[in-house]
Amino acid sequence: MGIGLLGQVCVNALMLSSIYVLMALGFALLLSIMGVLNFAHSVIYMVGGYVCYQLAVVAGVSQWLSLLLATAIVGSFGLVLERACFRPFFGDPNRTMVMALALIVIMESVVNILVGSYVRSLPSFAPGVLRWQGVSISRERVVTFAIGAALMAVLMTLIRKTRLGQQMLAVSQEPVGAVLQGIDIFRVSAVATVIACALAAVAGSLMGAIINLNPFMGDQMLVKAIEVVIVAGIGSIGGVAVAGLILGTIDSFLPLLLSGSATDAVGLAIVILILLFRPQGLFGHAV
Amino acid sequence: MNGRGKYAKKLTLAGLVLVLFLLPGVIGRPYYLHISIMALIYIIVVSSLRLIALSGQISVGHAAFMGIGAYFSGILSKDLGLSPWLTIPMGGLASMAAAVVMGYPFTRVRAIYFSMVSLFGGIMIVNLVRVAQRWTGAAGLAGIPPLSPIHIPGLITITFLGQKTPYYYFTLVLTLACLVVLYRLEHCRVGMTWKGVAQSYLVASSVGINEAGLRVLSFAVGCFFAGLAGAWYAHYNLVVTPATFGFLPSIFLVMYMLVGGRDRFAGPVVGAAILVMIPELFRSLKEFAPLILGAVMVLVVFLMPRGIAGLFDWTKGIERDAGRGKATEHAA
Repeated sequence: MGIGLLGQVCVNALMLSSIYVLMALGFALLLSIMGVLNFAHSVIYMVGGYVCYQLAVVAGVSQWLSLLLATAIVGSFGLVLERACFRPFFGDPNRTMVMALALIVIMESVVNILVGSYVRSLPSFAPGVLRWQGVSISRERVVTFAIGAALMAVLMTLIRKTRLGQQMLAVSQEPVGAVLQGIDIFRVSAVATVIACALAAVAGSLMGAIINLNPFMGDQMLVKAIEVVIVAGIGSIGGVAVAGLILGTIDSFLPLLLSGSATDAVGLAIVILILLFRPQGLFGHAV
Repeated sequence: MNGRGKYAKKLTLAGLVLVLFLLPGVIGRPYYLHISIMALIYIIVVSSLRLIALSGQISVGHAAFMGIGAYFSGILSKDLGLSPWLTIPMGGLASMAAAVVMGYPFTRVRAIYFSMVSLFGGIMIVNLVRVAQRWTGAAGLAGIPPLSPIHIPGLITITFLGQKTPYYYFTLVLTLACLVVLYRLEHCRVGMTWKGVAQSYLVASSVGINEAGLRVLSFAVGCFFAGLAGAWYAHYNLVVTPATFGFLPSIFLVMYMLVGGRDRFAGPVVGAAILVMIPELFRSLKEFAPLILGAVMVLVVFLMPRGIAGLFDWTKGIERDAGRGKATEHAA
């Protein structure tokens, strides 16, 4: 395998990992803080990409600005999401799940109606290639990784250093205790939802530029996000980065050896094995 | 329940079954028969999912086991020329075997982790089906033979080729038979033990119940019926694609069960029937059809906490909730 291919696969691994991490972070946040499996996350990811598309291509707004605006818009939709979907069913995971599924159905068909199911592509955020010692790397993918890593770092600082972050940690560890300390868990979960939705929107927009947009792109990504969160362990936020890297690397290197579906099968087998022998994941609370 | 109530219940049930048998006479249009057949098949699948849920495990990969039965029966009858009447139960058994093999490691973990593992297991099964293209076809398995004709010499010959009505009747019989079996299973000793294990596996094992083995059993039996229904579907539809048994269909199966109501036996029946029929009935609306489905789901989730079938329990709800703590409210 030439150095050129190896270089590209490595960069691919980094790029894929950062997308996975962005999705999984939001998912993990909601899971650990509210105990909710937010299946609607896939739809947020997709809507984020589409909003960015509408702004950048249809409305002609500058690319980076539309990324920011899309993030802001979808992030604030997270407030609505939390109010309408999570708060009424707090403590009842079954109903929350049905509501999230209803959202998926509704949003996917709304986007389908409004924009059509034709595959659309966002123009690249950083077109061109970098050349380094005979290896040509897509600039886009490097930028994606940079954005992902930066956001991850920002989020970790937020959680560790700010008061709000501490509150989030408290709620995820012991909700009742947090309430006794005077923490407003609904406010915390609202903020968490906003952050999660914003991250998913960024992921969706970046992915829309690298590959393409279609109303059903979230389904596959949701599975990946759940895989990452499970491997990292429920309750761990930092572990998501490591798990994302592992899965991103697997998903980048395995296709060199096996076909597409076989890669997925092997990846899933690995995740299942991890889950069976270490259900709490790599970094999670003990089961 | 007093004597009179029991009679009324049985009478209503008998009346319902009668209506179902007379249905093709009333609405002969093949399309409506098709919807009914699909609804009946999914009633079996969702009811079997509920059987697994009885032992406290929510399997989020159930559609894949439906697929195992479908592909097994399809491939056997297509490539080896065996009669579908033979391969359909074999499809169910194949699914059950897969469930036993996967079930032993899966049941090592509980609650939400079991759901996760079953989710990934389901997706993995579908991916393996896609990988095995030589047998399962590139885009799907086509050319599956329909149910072979039945000759009752001197009486009638029933052919299944190109006609929906015989399919409807036999599907109805199959569904009723499966429902009876599932109902009896739930109310016999094994079923009661499953419910006990679901409420507290610690107490169950402290009394000497092999709770892990029982959980595998419920997983296997549930998957048997899913495989059976899947195989039947294969010989009805004559074509199967991997997408029908993937991740989203599995999640939708769980949703059918939750919307219909997890607590009552009739729950999955109602849930599957309604949620399968709605997208089909409103198909003329094309892209807007899923919106109706979404609207119904939102309606149910806000107004009916225990699902549609739970509406019948509005008086019993109080005692039931008192006896059941949050600890047994497993996340799906």
